[in-house]
Amino acid sequence: MAVATAALAGCGGGASQGGHGLEGIPGPVAGQQRGGTLDVVSHDGFQNLDPGASYFQLDYQVVYATHRPLFSFRPDDFRRPVPDLAAGPARVSQDGRTVTVRIHPDLRYSPGTVSRPVRSGDVKYAIERGFGSVVANGYASSYFGDLVGADHARGGPIAGIETPDQRTLVFRLTKPFGPTFADALSLPLTAPVPPEYARRFDRRSPSRYDSDPTVQAFTGPYVIRRYQAGKLLELARNPVWRSSTDFRPAYLDRVVWRIGVDPNIAGRQILSGRRMVNGDTPATAIVARAVRRQRRQINFAPQGNRYIALNTQVAPFDDVNVRRAVVAGMDRRALQLTRGGKVAGDVATHFLAPTAPGFEAAGGYRGPGYDFLAKPQGDLAVARAYLRRAGFPSGRYSGPPILVVGDDSDPADKTAQVVQAGLRRLGFRVRLRLLATDTMYSRFCNVPAAKVQVCPNVGWLPDFPDGYAWLFAPFDSQSIEPENNTNWPQLRNARVDAAIVRAQSITQPAARARAWGQVDRIVTGLAPAVPWFWDRTPNIESRDVQGVIAQWNAAWDLSFSSLRR
Amino acid sequence: MSTVDVTRESLPHVVAAEPRAPRIGARSTPALVWRRLRADRWAMAGLAAIVLVVAVAIAAPLVVRLAGAAPPDLQSPGALDAFGLPTGPSSRHLLGVDPLGRDVLSRVVYCLRVSLEVAFLATGLAVVVGVLVGVLAGYRRGWVDTLLSRLMDFQLAFPILLLGIGLASACSLGRGCLGGLVQPGLTVVVFVIALASWPYVGRIARGEALSLREQPFVEAARSLGASDMRVVLEDVMPNLAAPVVAYSMLIVPTNILLEAALSYLGVGVQPPQASLGQMISDATATFDTAWWYMLFPGLALLVVVLAFNVVGGALQEALDPRGRR
Repeated sequence: MAVATAALAGCGGGASQGGHGLEGIPGPVAGQQRGGTLDVVSHDGFQNLDPGASYFQLDYQVVYATHRPLFSFRPDDFRRPVPDLAAGPARVSQDGRTVTVRIHPDLRYSPGTVSRPVRSGDVKYAIERGFGSVVANGYASSYFGDLVGADHARGGPIAGIETPDQRTLVFRLTKPFGPTFADALSLPLTAPVPPEYARRFDRRSPSRYDSDPTVQAFTGPYVIRRYQAGKLLELARNPVWRSSTDFRPAYLDRVVWRIGVDPNIAGRQILSGRRMVNGDTPATAIVARAVRRQRRQINFAPQGNRYIALNTQVAPFDDVNVRRAVVAGMDRRALQLTRGGKVAGDVATHFLAPTAPGFEAAGGYRGPGYDFLAKPQGDLAVARAYLRRAGFPSGRYSGPPILVVGDDSDPADKTAQVVQAGLRRLGFRVRLRLLATDTMYSRFCNVPAAKVQVCPNVGWLPDFPDGYAWLFAPFDSQSIEPENNTNWPQLRNARVDAAIVRAQSITQPAARARAWGQVDRIVTGLAPAVPWFWDRTPNIESRDVQGVIAQWNAAWDLSFSSLRR
Repeated sequence: MSTVDVTRESLPHVVAAEPRAPRIGARSTPALVWRRLRADRWAMAGLAAIVLVVAVAIAAPLVVRLAGAAPPDLQSPGALDAFGLPTGPSSRHLLGVDPLGRDVLSRVVYCLRVSLEVAFLATGLAVVVGVLVGVLAGYRRGWVDTLLSRLMDFQLAFPILLLGIGLASACSLGRGCLGGLVQPGLTVVVFVIALASWPYVGRIARGEALSLREQPFVEAARSLGASDMRVVLEDVMPNLAAPVVAYSMLIVPTNILLEAALSYLGVGVQPPQASLGQMISDATATFDTAWWYMLFPGLALLVVVLAFNVVGGALQEALDPRGRR
């Protein structure tokens, strides 16, 4: 999942620094109250609320409260997915090529949609439509591409998804990647979509299931009652949802999401107001104020990484020495300060974050030992040496200007300006364009044809707790797409691809983690990007809110948060 | 304006009385204007401020060096606190630093340069276009006048900021507008402001041209066989100078504010180049903890706009005989 840039975002397992008040799931803990309305205030809007297309931290907060994928995560544990729509764990065959899942028998769709129970065929249709251009799921080919028949799927039936009865799903794979596939079943693409109901919306491109999410057939504890793109979203209780079938307590009666609020204004409103939480990352000044004066109203959740993508397919960054020079010359401590300093995260030395399996094997906090990453404050001497190797005898880049496209909202715009200054120190003439988050992604950084040379505001959250989810989409050549591309550096390297395949086929967890660590070392050595931050996402709440952080999404879990008594 | 100067109109009263009276000559318009301006203390204070601001803007590198400040784009992470927040005025950074550790004094000085550059260029462009279109419309009349006047009306009907935001946003993508002629950043701002300002100048020029073309000296020139081009260049244009100059001085501060507004909204001058509007916008994030970051750029903007407004008003009065007190 791409991280929000203006907002911090993301997932990350392990060390739980936030998520207070979480003991005793599913009953309310002391101070938690059933009922009431919570206001979520955010600057950014949603990108996709169709569970088949959703792939953004903000969207996930709503999608996981309104839909039930086969598996999902308890807010305090990103390591083990728990059955959600599924009735029990996924069974992976000995050869790793078949995965079988049984679904819950008594789940129904929200009123006004489909009156029958959820069937296995609905999950089959949900996955299949994700491969079509109408839904255009961003990760279907990465995580579901090994299904038999998925290689030429365009939204129609996929032979590798079988439904022997109304409760059973059998997934047949072309490769022995069953464990990875089973992990991927926690993604929202597996949330059921009744075909006889949704087809009418899927005739239009993009599907009305996405543009008007109020029409969706919901299975989660909430339904989207009202939605005005870029302005407002309202969640109300799903009357057919039964708590006996779910691990989510769903304390709140209603959630109102206000969009387009300046992060600084939103932060002030939340800290001094009532019944409010942030939707995206608070501004740095707000974080500092909360840490200094209102410590009980702020939580930090570990999440993903942030990096500066260097386009490896376009000059001058098609030369590994130029890329290494940029990595060496970048002041990563200054970059860290743009997001709130040490309290908000650590200076990264590679891509796998501290919570990822394989972190230690990749070099831990010290890093893999490359000279161009040795000094967090940057090393101009090393940078100049690499530039000389790249054919710039003066140690300064002297080619044509480069295009850098960043995010215009606080604090991402500061990050972009530090990157700009770092590039200029090495002699680059920089054309910096700061644009709205969605424009930055959808028109530039996600589109290889745009030939943007540097995207300074990108980062990655793993979709599930495995090295594959950390490294495949951002760095495998197969994940390069003409649109919705997530391999922002467009790294095409046979050694990386082979190492990913090797790691993916290992089933023993410790060996698998080591293998992913090795992949990370190779990627870091090729310098397709400057890894600079391992985030801890701050989230703030009003005094009368008992928020619960979903560690896997580094954001409030709306199905677990509540008001205080 | 209170004045005792002797002008051509008052000559008969003086000359007739005394044959040996001192020789009295007519003053040129600039001399008259200067004399009137000098009598206005507010105008002189404004003029002094403008001279100072222009001098500071021109000699920005020297001023920054003399003040012992860091260059405007130099980021000093060491000047930030542990949260990455800016620190206030100190002996090292007289006006404090911004959230990237850049010296506020140094940036304000360079901002003045940007503000004046944009204001003068945009005003210049607006005057050239406005005068050409206005004179053409007023002098030719008929369908040309109708067409050009409606064009000006059409342009004036647009909300300026909205138009500016739209154009600046559109030109900020890709390679800019008009085949790359209008590049994102400074040129977009100049183009947008000029586009917003020229109809005002055009209307004034049209009105003056309409009146001048009926004047006896213009008719005389035409009857002597002068071409339209010659009449316009030699008889109409020189008489347009005074009202156009006066009005230009008044739109300079408006254009400075427009540039600040566009930059405040993020569609103006692009980083790392500094602009007062951009700094003020950025400072809204931290104004309760970093007051200096909003105060000093705000003061600079206030002084510049006030100075141009005062001088512009006084100049208009000085150039307009009906405005004499």
